[in-house]
Amino acid sequence: MSKTILNLKDLTIKFGGVTALNSVNLELKEGEILALIGPNGAGKTTVFNLITGVYKPTSGNVFLGDLAIDGKKRHHITKLGIARTFQNIRLFGDMTTLENVITGTDVRNKVGLIGSMFGTPRSRREEKASIAKAYEILKFIGIDEYADRLAKNLPYGVQRRLEIARALGTEPKILLLDEPAAGFNPQEKVDLAAIIKKIRDAGYTILLIEHDMSLIMGISDRVVVLDFGQKIADDLPSVVQNDPQVIAAYLGVPADAS
Amino acid sequence: MINLRDKGAEFWERSNRPVRVLTVFAIMAVVAALPYAGNTFLQTPVAAFDAVLVYPMGMFILMALGLNVVVGKSGMLDLGYVAFFAVGAYTMAILGTRTGLNTWEIMPIGIAAAMFAGVLLAIPTLRLRGDYLAIVTLGFGEIVRVSALNTEAIGGALGIAGVPFPPGLGFEYQLLDQKYFYWTILVMILLVIWVIRRLTVRRPGRAWESIRQDEDAAELMGVSTYKYKIWAFVFGAAIGGGAGVFYASRSMVIAPDNFTLNTSILILACVVFGGMGNIWGVIVGATILGYLPDRFRFLSDARLLLFGLVLVVFMNLRPEGILPRKKREKAIVKKGSGASL
Ligand SMILES: Nc1ncnc2c1ncn2[C@@H]1O[C@H](COP(=O)(O)OP(=O)(O)OP(=O)(O)O)[C@@H](O)[C@H]1O
Ligand SMILES: [Mg+2]
Repeated sequence: MSKTILNLKDLTIKFGGVTALNSVNLELKEGEILALIGPNGAGKTTVFNLITGVYKPTSGNVFLGDLAIDGKKRHHITKLGIARTFQNIRLFGDMTTLENVITGTDVRNKVGLIGSMFGTPRSRREEKASIAKAYEILKFIGIDEYADRLAKNLPYGVQRRLEIARALGTEPKILLLDEPAAGFNPQEKVDLAAIIKKIRDAGYTILLIEHDMSLIMGISDRVVVLDFGQKIADDLPSVVQNDPQVIAAYLGVPADAS
Repeated sequence: MINLRDKGAEFWERSNRPVRVLTVFAIMAVVAALPYAGNTFLQTPVAAFDAVLVYPMGMFILMALGLNVVVGKSGMLDLGYVAFFAVGAYTMAILGTRTGLNTWEIMPIGIAAAMFAGVLLAIPTLRLRGDYLAIVTLGFGEIVRVSALNTEAIGGALGIAGVPFPPGLGFEYQLLDQKYFYWTILVMILLVIWVIRRLTVRRPGRAWESIRQDEDAAELMGVSTYKYKIWAFVFGAAIGGGAGVFYASRSMVIAPDNFTLNTSILILACVVFGGMGNIWGVIVGATILGYLPDRFRFLSDARLLLFGLVLVVFMNLRPEGILPRKKREKAIVKKGSGASL
């Protein structure tokens, strides 16, 4: 069994009176694709927001390896190796596709304002490497032909994929994908599944929020189900698929009624 | 409406090196010769044309370039930019009249003082966004002015007189013939353009752009937004401070009245009018807004009113300014570098 690289321990968060997550435990193993599913409002995106430091948990912790990262600054968490995409696309619209990805790569660069101003050798070296890396990622994701286009003018599907590319630019260990196939047609979903698999095979660990069951069944190693902020299942896709509690959660009927 | 910005950029990309060099030299020659155009239709009725070239035009361009980094590039609305100009000017006036230091020696001190003021303002306020930031910066600008007004040690309302001219560099700076002042400020402007362009196409520029477009997304992509926002402020402040030092040294007299909210707003108008985020647009905007009021002074009192009217109409017709920010589908970087992969 491979080791746990991300560990959510007893994670609870309340917004006013609403408990969005209630004592959720979740372990992400190195190199797996873990799907996080659940009905609308179950708290999936909230999990991402807690991992990436957008919210601080009311109680509980997020461990990256042995390091507790809850409470750390958001850009610092990214630097530690966690990158995400957004459910509602949030690209830098006035930048080109390539620039979006380069902006992601900058987190690994060391040069600051002064170095950039004087064009130090390091600054030039890093700029060159960033551009090369960004191109490589665009090719890897299959959207390099759009490199020079402004992000806001890209077709919807390309924007979704650029979200992934930009996140990869930060060289994460863990990639968090929030409904990357939302609004895709079946063919686009198949293509995306292939890309996600390819990313995993390249050595990344993936936590994936998705609604499309067939996509999930096809690529995930494990599935965690959230319902009303509670974890109600955590198992192999085939097992989860037949779990009465899960079926009930999706159909909106109590588990014991089935 | 035709997109001058794209036309210009296309011309630039189509041209080879000699054509580019020639273009730059031709433009520079025309710009540098402007002080000799005083007896043409360009002449300004009250102030001498060569003096108008220095202030307001040159100063406005310099300040608009600095403010553009904060407002246009990074998307932070700063309504107190004149404060940095004031800090630079007062540094020059105080040190220039009380120590033996000359303008060039005071320049780095004035810039440093303005940068320090920038940090002081930035650290507590940059957690604010949008309107809140605008209001706090506006307050800061006023605080600086009112402090100067109420500090007798630096002249109070009368300000400081007798600020020395810069020492000549093989020529003498003169009051009645300001071409040397003009050429000096031209050099300062070129220097600032050069630095800004370098920053824009590199990491700081991307950080600023990403902050302007989606600050939270930027932060989550690893951009230290707080740090880069401070840098934007401090960098803008440095330019404002440098302009202030030179302004004081040329004007000989400065008083709190030179640093009112009006100036901050005028500079902001230059940025918005010319095209937020585009340095060429900003330069055009500052040139026009710096020049026109002096040229058409016969309109006297109605001047600012008319001026405001023109701005309103214009901004409705062309909300992104004369030369809008980049619209073309072209990366800021060379394509070739990634081809080997
Ligand atoms: N900032 C917030 N303030 C108040 N309530 C919030 C906040 N963020 C999330 N919530 C609440 O937490 C619950 C979980 O929301 P979340 O966005 O995590 O759902 P989700 O599982 O991602 O749903 P979807 O499938 O629709 O994206 C919802 O009831 C939501 O209203
Ligand atoms: Mg969600």
